[in-house]
Amino acid sequence: MTAEAAAFAAPVAGAERAARLRVVAGWLWSGALLAVLTFLVLYPVTMLLLGALTNTNPVVDGFGVFDLSLDNFVSVLGNPNVHHALANSLIACTGGTALAVAIGLAFSWIVVRTNTPCKGFIGAASLVPLFVPPLVAGVAWSILGSPKSGLLNTMMKWIGLDWRIDLYSMAGLIAVFGMYYAPYVYMFTASALRNMDPSLEEAAEIAGVGPVRTLFTVTFPLIAPAIISGMLLSFIVMLGIYGIPAVLGAPANISVLTTYIFKLTNWSPPLYSTAAAVAIILMVVTGALVLLQQRVLAGRSFITVAGKAFRPRALDLGPWRWLTLALALLYLVIVVVLPTLALIVAAFRRFLFIPDASSLFDMRHYSLVHFESIFDNPLTMRSIWNTMEVGLVTALLGGLLAFAIGYTVHRGSTPGRRVIDLVATLPVAIPGLVIGVAYLWAWIGLPGGLYGTIWILALAFIARFMPDTMKALSTSFLQIHRELEEAAWVCGKGRLRTIAGIVLPLARPGTIAAMTLLFILAIRELGSSLFLYTSDTTVMAVLLLDYYEGGNTGKTAAFSLVQTALLAVLIGVSSWLSSGTTNSSVGRAG
Amino acid sequence: MKSILTAIGLAGALVVPAAAQNFGPPELVAAAKKEGRLVFYTANFAEVEQEVIKAFNKRFPEIKVEMVRAPGGQLITRIKTEAAAGKLAADLVNHSDRGLMLEIENLFMDYAPPNAADYLPDVLASPKLWPQATLGWAIAYNSAIVKNPPKSWMDLTKPEYKGKQIGQTIGPSGGTTWTRVMFERQVLGEDYWKKQAATEVVLFPSGAPAADALVRGEISILPSLYNIVFTKQRDGAPVEIFFAPEGMPINPYAAGITASAKNPNAAKLFLNWCLSAEGQTFMIKEQGNLTSLKVPPVLAKGYDPNKVKSWVPNFKQYQELRATWIEDWNRAYNYRQ
Repeated sequence: MTAEAAAFAAPVAGAERAARLRVVAGWLWSGALLAVLTFLVLYPVTMLLLGALTNTNPVVDGFGVFDLSLDNFVSVLGNPNVHHALANSLIACTGGTALAVAIGLAFSWIVVRTNTPCKGFIGAASLVPLFVPPLVAGVAWSILGSPKSGLLNTMMKWIGLDWRIDLYSMAGLIAVFGMYYAPYVYMFTASALRNMDPSLEEAAEIAGVGPVRTLFTVTFPLIAPAIISGMLLSFIVMLGIYGIPAVLGAPANISVLTTYIFKLTNWSPPLYSTAAAVAIILMVVTGALVLLQQRVLAGRSFITVAGKAFRPRALDLGPWRWLTLALALLYLVIVVVLPTLALIVAAFRRFLFIPDASSLFDMRHYSLVHFESIFDNPLTMRSIWNTMEVGLVTALLGGLLAFAIGYTVHRGSTPGRRVIDLVATLPVAIPGLVIGVAYLWAWIGLPGGLYGTIWILALAFIARFMPDTMKALSTSFLQIHRELEEAAWVCGKGRLRTIAGIVLPLARPGTIAAMTLLFILAIRELGSSLFLYTSDTTVMAVLLLDYYEGGNTGKTAAFSLVQTALLAVLIGVSSWLSSGTTNSSVGRAG
Repeated sequence: MKSILTAIGLAGALVVPAAAQNFGPPELVAAAKKEGRLVFYTANFAEVEQEVIKAFNKRFPEIKVEMVRAPGGQLITRIKTEAAAGKLAADLVNHSDRGLMLEIENLFMDYAPPNAADYLPDVLASPKLWPQATLGWAIAYNSAIVKNPPKSWMDLTKPEYKGKQIGQTIGPSGGTTWTRVMFERQVLGEDYWKKQAATEVVLFPSGAPAADALVRGEISILPSLYNIVFTKQRDGAPVEIFFAPEGMPINPYAAGITASAKNPNAAKLFLNWCLSAEGQTFMIKEQGNLTSLKVPPVLAKGYDPNKVKSWVPNFKQYQELRATWIEDWNRAYNYRQ
């Protein structure tokens, strides 16, 4: 071998070694992620499947005595009540999602792309329903919209109107679902609209296309991934919600899958195996939706944030801007002001018996008795403290893990990333109550004393909300063009430094938003907490259900207001944090 | 004259000095205070238990009672799972369903309170499990809405109350409702359910939200556990409640101390206090409970044992009839299971 050849061969061998190292590192990285996900997701889901296939409790009866049979499945599939609950779930969630998309999309357009006055305020206030726990929303709307004693009906009677509303109905369920889950659509579409390159819209305008047509033929198709993600997420979240159908559906005997599952676990004796079998139906429905989304999004490019300078443009609506303002305010009154007023009335009123309007304004009926009573209970302060701790741990660890998984799935060429994506998405399909039992079965026996600490709650929440967190993050990843990272590699930066220097700052608003979402979801989460809390680790959601089940709307409302106030403070802090970063990253991009 | 005697009896029951009350030997009290805490699992309402704990702490402020509350079915699952993993955290369990508790009897240690002989023997599902609370069914109505209130269980089948006026807690809700459902069929007649369902009742998954709906005027009449409505009436809500002449179905709870208890002495002391005349008097007077003591230390407001007989289900039938009768009930009320 000549000297030149050797000099030429050395770097090639070095490059090959580096490439081999990268492959090994990729496998190790995937293996590590899969190990984490196996512990968090696969192992509990396996327990759930086993539970559905037997009539035994795997911990109590031991793993050896499984009497595997398809009996539960067969009886569940043939049960007309299950068909009924499934049909109700699909109708309520489809209707609710349609409404949520209409409201969410309209809102994000008004806030981001028009010159409607008070946009900032509208944008912030429209997220309020997101941090209202479903049980609280249900209670507030039953106070307002019950056909017999609803405040709205009392007020309409008072002012001599003949209209009456009845929210104890399928229409009521759809309306409340749509209103409360519109923020999911808003969150996705607003950030997409904000980050969208307006040059295509400008081109349409130059070509003489009107603003409405531009909206439907250029703008909305461009942010299609965000719309579909928001739509899918809101549908799936609705499918798993217990509180709203429990309060509004039960009086009309409308059962949906979640209330049906809750009933199964709540009866005495409880029927967990049947519940697990029903849960599997829910998993199948959700799984089909996730696949549908992947099919829709596959093969299309949605990159709208590239390394180019731009600023989103606000459309001048002229006098119409007052109409959009009025519409936005009307929505806020309906979704934020009315239920809050209902909760305030319930929280401060000794008894919620309001036969007519004069009784409503009679101040003798009001007092602080419910607040005194909840703060007299030592569990109240403890539950608040525990909830904050669990929320913080969940948001930080869960956010980090979701970022790692999201980056691996969307960016890397790491082996096994499709499997990782699939496993991480699995928990979306399992209702909290059932997964709570699965976690209990799976983790109680582990050495190290995980059970009885807040960590078991945090781990359950991280696993349970991994899909939501990843969805919130994936929009950011999909929108950041690879050219930015490639530029960094060309400049000789390694993978980790590229992530730290380019991806993280650009995805920071999305990451903080995802962590905030995780925090909110963790604070509200009831189902999986029910089996994992102990006397030391009671959380607010569990205590709230105690107050509700204890039959005291006053205390339930008072505690709901406390919880809402806490969440509002937290969200204020987080939006202040993320607004700072949004500005700086836009500044850099510009 | 009789009322004077009753009044004297009541006053006597209330002023029993601490020394005369037997909560256990001094060694037990000392050991309990040394432990200083206990973990209490209960299927009763959290608020109700919180009041009991508070009253206990007036007598024994040194002992902290840490409560975990869950609905009946969920609580049993948790106990079974924890016990199987060797991690049962509870020192004391209080459950409304004696049948479910009997299934896990082996998890409990032998225990009897100092006043064991004062208790009715038929209410014990097992010698290890004691009726910490005893609840009775009555009829409640919203006095601001109902002008012509019902006077008996049979009145609840009258067409006069048709059209979503009456609320009803579902049969499969738990041991307490199963007791009522059994009473209805065995005492009020085979066709009672059918006749009542014809009045278009509103169904509730559990009793407390139903009582709340009664106060709000969502429904106007409700067969209810006396204690849920009693506390609302005590606090001034527009509700009335009475014991119906055909009988009062009662459901004694089952409370036991776990064999694996880390704080067995504190748990014993707490349960001793709950089962004592002082504890039972508190639950009757302040919470509208009944009692399984042979001679009640005090009578619940409006309860006259000469006029209304209490009805305790035959425990064998309670166990054996359950599945089929609940199925019948679901069908009669068109409840989807």
